[in-house]
Amino acid sequence: MVVEGAELRAAWAIARKELQVARRYPIQLVNGVLQPLYQFLLPSLLLGATFFVGGKALGLEASAGTDDLAGYLFLGIVVGAMVATAFWEMAFGLKREMDAGTLESAWLTPTRPETFILGRAISGGILSGAGSVVLLAIGLLVFGASVAGGVLLALPALALAAVSMVGVGYLVASAVLMLREPNFFVDATNFLFAMISGVAFPVTVLPALIQPLAYVLPTTYAVDLLRVYALGTRPLLAPLVEWVALVVLAVAMVIVGRAVFLRTEHRMRVRGTLGQH
Amino acid sequence: MRGSLLAADLRAFGAAAMKEWRLLRRYPTLFTGFLFWPIALPTAYVFQARGYAGDSQAALDAFASRAGTTEIAGFLFVGWAAYMWISMILWGPGTALRTEQVRGTLEALFMTPVSRLVILFGPIVSQVVWALWMFAIVGGALILFFGVAIPPPAALRALVVILVAVPALYGLGALFAAVVLRFGEVHALVQAVRGVFTVFCGMTFPIVILPEWARAVALTLPPTYLIGDLRKVLLAGSDLASLVPDLAILLSIGLLLCGLAIVAFRRTERYARRGGSLAQY
Repeated sequence: MVVEGAELRAAWAIARKELQVARRYPIQLVNGVLQPLYQFLLPSLLLGATFFVGGKALGLEASAGTDDLAGYLFLGIVVGAMVATAFWEMAFGLKREMDAGTLESAWLTPTRPETFILGRAISGGILSGAGSVVLLAIGLLVFGASVAGGVLLALPALALAAVSMVGVGYLVASAVLMLREPNFFVDATNFLFAMISGVAFPVTVLPALIQPLAYVLPTTYAVDLLRVYALGTRPLLAPLVEWVALVVLAVAMVIVGRAVFLRTEHRMRVRGTLGQH
Repeated sequence: MRGSLLAADLRAFGAAAMKEWRLLRRYPTLFTGFLFWPIALPTAYVFQARGYAGDSQAALDAFASRAGTTEIAGFLFVGWAAYMWISMILWGPGTALRTEQVRGTLEALFMTPVSRLVILFGPIVSQVVWALWMFAIVGGALILFFGVAIPPPAALRALVVILVAVPALYGLGALFAAVVLRFGEVHALVQAVRGVFTVFCGMTFPIVILPEWARAVALTLPPTYLIGDLRKVLLAGSDLASLVPDLAILLSIGLLLCGLAIVAFRRTERYARRGGSLAQY
């Protein structure tokens, strides 16, 4: 029990350290908010406007159940940011430690290696959460998104998805430890994970072969419930089923992810390849 | 004497391009990225377009009337291929010089009698190979996965448009290289310029949907002409004669940018020599 308390304190200390580092690069922080806006949201909004009929998104209404294009996309990016946190902050953060040559010395401390990942999850979650709030505000004030108060009902879904993403972060971190050049792997899997979850479009438009994948990703249910409560979109499955899936996936992902990470970390220690990159 | 100097510079130009190409070949994972992104990124937008269209014929008609084509996949793939090429060019030359700076070889390079134009434009040449590779991948994906027909004459016309765009885009890349030498860091600027191009140049949309002021901005940017003309020759069957005004503008902007890049590079070099900052980073 005492050990668990110490690990939590260590995770919080790691998160604070990461936040302190982030604060030193204010331009990067601003870019963290602006980049999704100009690289994803604006091109998507403008593409959507090309399909407008009489100023209304009739096609989106037919496929998703809402004609609020801005609301649809800005809510999608909230979950997209969560995915990016797991892939880039939790997992790829290890590569940055490797490059800096500090991974071995950090892992020689009595703190458990998985706690370092957890610390990064906390700081990444705080930063991406703040970024999402700013982006949502831009969506509401500048682009006329209209999000209903029901959005608050979806907050537990986001929390459950965040827990799942900690598990996913462990899995991706294992891959980062094994691959010497993980940049492309992290970039590509992050992109596929977000897209298949339906961050940018309804998953029903995916080919039949890929659609089953969407149903095993926790973020699919999180973004779906978020849009159901905030915009009144048609749910993919009955909301109760989606809630149950979120709980099951949260537990399963953390257990599996942590086990794989610990196994990988042990193998790296045995082979003595932790500092190699 | 002048002729032999020019021949020597041309040989150095070829050697610089070959060196960059050899470096690229040493990192085969880069090839995977260049295979994955030109297909994955536009495909995601094709799915998005399907979501926007729903089963509404009116929405599809609205797209066709604004974009001038019913080929949604072709429209998006061409836009994103151009975007990725531009991204490569914005990062490429600046990063090449920066890498020389970090390795400590930039001063040695400047000590050689070779023309500065070789240092500035040499590394860029290898990226023409990447551009052609990427456009080939995009063309293959369009034909195989989306059934878009690209007849050889249309592909040849597209190649002409790409070649006409080379001075404009590579001038821009060289200008960024000068900025790297002056300020040492170019990340934020590249992101900002890429953002401007994404929003104004019609990567995912026809620029007719932009407000008038934004369209005016778009028409001053070379990628707007590149993307628009590639779509015209590949998807609307336009001939080159109808594009002459656009191509003339593109070429003029290109010459202007190359001239600006050369001036900026010379000034930056003079500044760096005086301050002794060539090797500082």
